[in-house]
Amino acid sequence: MSEIWQGPLEKIDDYRWRITKSYKQGMRVDGIIYADEKLLKDIRHDKAAEQVANVAFLPGIVKASLAMPDIHWGYGFPIGGVAATDVEAGGVISPGGVGFDINCGVRLMRTSLEHNEVKDKLKDLAYALFNNVPSGVGSKGDIRVSAKEEKEILVKGSKWAVGKGYGTEDDLECTEESGAIAGADPEAVSERAYERGKAQSGTLGSGNHFLEVQVIDQLYDSKICDTLGLDMGQIVVMIHSGSRGFGYQVCEDYTRSMVHCLQKYNISVPDRQLACTPVNSPEGQAYLGAMRCAANYAWANRQCLMHLTRKVFEKIFLKSWQQMGMFLIYDVAHNIAKLEKYVVDGKEKLLCVHRKGATRAFPANHPALPERYKQIGQPVIIPGDMGRNSYLLVGTQKAMEETFGSTCHGAGRLKSRTAATRTINLGVLMKELEAKGITVMASGRDTITEEAPQAYKDINEVVDVVHNAGISKRVCRMRPLAVIKG
Amino acid sequence: MHKSYEIIEHTADIGIRCRSSNLKELFKNAALAMFDLIAEKPKSSFLQSFLNKLSPNKSEKIEVGVKGQDTEELFVNWLNELLSLSAAEGLIFYDFIIEKLDSNILEAVAIGNEFREYRVNKEIKAATYHELKVSQVKGAWQAEVIFDV
Repeated sequence: MSEIWQGPLEKIDDYRWRITKSYKQGMRVDGIIYADEKLLKDIRHDKAAEQVANVAFLPGIVKASLAMPDIHWGYGFPIGGVAATDVEAGGVISPGGVGFDINCGVRLMRTSLEHNEVKDKLKDLAYALFNNVPSGVGSKGDIRVSAKEEKEILVKGSKWAVGKGYGTEDDLECTEESGAIAGADPEAVSERAYERGKAQSGTLGSGNHFLEVQVIDQLYDSKICDTLGLDMGQIVVMIHSGSRGFGYQVCEDYTRSMVHCLQKYNISVPDRQLACTPVNSPEGQAYLGAMRCAANYAWANRQCLMHLTRKVFEKIFLKSWQQMGMFLIYDVAHNIAKLEKYVVDGKEKLLCVHRKGATRAFPANHPALPERYKQIGQPVIIPGDMGRNSYLLVGTQKAMEETFGSTCHGAGRLKSRTAATRTINLGVLMKELEAKGITVMASGRDTITEEAPQAYKDINEVVDVVHNAGISKRVCRMRPLAVIKG
Repeated sequence: MHKSYEIIEHTADIGIRCRSSNLKELFKNAALAMFDLIAEKPKSSFLQSFLNKLSPNKSEKIEVGVKGQDTEELFVNWLNELLSLSAAEGLIFYDFIIEKLDSNILEAVAIGNEFREYRVNKEIKAATYHELKVSQVKGAWQAEVIFDV
């Protein structure tokens, strides 16, 4: 990984860089990377830019293969990539463009608690969250479901959870797709996926997934903050998780079968992990149906995790969650493919938008937004690393014009997990975090060092780029107080 | 376990490189390496090891059958099938008997213990095709694979 990527990056403006399609034979469109000069240096340090070029091979891809400033080397697609294909013109869908963790995403819940009120109880709170919200590899939840119920989850998503009493109608309104994307087809899901998913509902998972108690430490747009009921010093809770083993199995099943579609549909891609099939083929439709099941599973999962979090807060602060104002601000996916309409070359087209480590960022007045956010635009939640910050942004019109309504999804990794574990001393790191007032709990042996702040790009720099490029707008910034990791 | 593999550095994920004198061994070693990344047996006391030896029948054996169009596809499908079985059955596999292996079919037995007997360190979501290589290098078989973690 010490090799520096030497490909051509042509400057478009201060925040955009182009890989022209002449770079590699087979590229159908240019690649465009959103970054400033400083982040661009990091981006050249791995193979992410080459992957941006590879994605440009996908049949039916329109405008450009896009990458956000948090882009880093993935498998097939870069993490932080956005690619849209024209469905009616033979455009393809690729399970690799969604990833194994289908509908990995984040939700942000506000509280009416102030930093002062929780300061002395933070350690108890962290401990209780760690013990009551199942986390870690292969963790199993207390929320057990029958086989019949599992099918219901796949179609109803968060609505299933709310029906069970794990939330309210209000939560659904504040979730992308109201927590249940239409078109989920449980028949397109393998038995094995059911088996893998059965025990894992209501579990956080491991790796970079987390639950954080955060405090708002900077307001950028006080008008929007007022609308959202957010202010300096206020406590919020962020949950980052996905579709667990269920989603991994769906991705694996369909990647395996789509490798064979390459030949069948005469598609040439430079990496087998970019295996794809026309959206309008039987295989494409089956994957869409199965992927949507996994997306709904993930929304139900995050809804359950939020419910468990509310219960823990009730236990620690001896008030109901409603009294503590624990209402959902929004829940967004950042690994998903969606059929959305955009104007391309003056014509409205139905596109299959792959967001692989990228977040939907719709502007004010977009029909997909709930009434309450029509004026301000879609809340966009950007988690950072455990030692620095996270952000709340809103979507913009410019994102609709340039990035298929998409923006970044996080800080983006800088160091490999092995390099982080090798170079970072756990004891020193824990002391540094404690000095900043951050309590961290994790189940995996190496999780904390692998996920150390030094292993990530600076979220502040990443968000500066998307804000300055105009593809989303800063609303407020948070810093972590208690971090629960898998 | 004796580390018979090397780590390949990757920004977001993790890769391994392993070598073996023949293909069957290579498939077995890659699977061992993968589960070595996932979990470790907590160091047991002398007494415990003795007791474990007395009652070794707690292990579960699972038959694994995988198909693929070529050796590389077979290799990825094999590792993914093991990950999938591990998650579905709640087992960590520690040994493998490869009974049949040609360029399209693999038949094997995977032997494992329950999750709770291990310290589980890392979740591997899947083995990927990205930069996948299974080839003969200097008279031995070598495999490189990147996992999504």
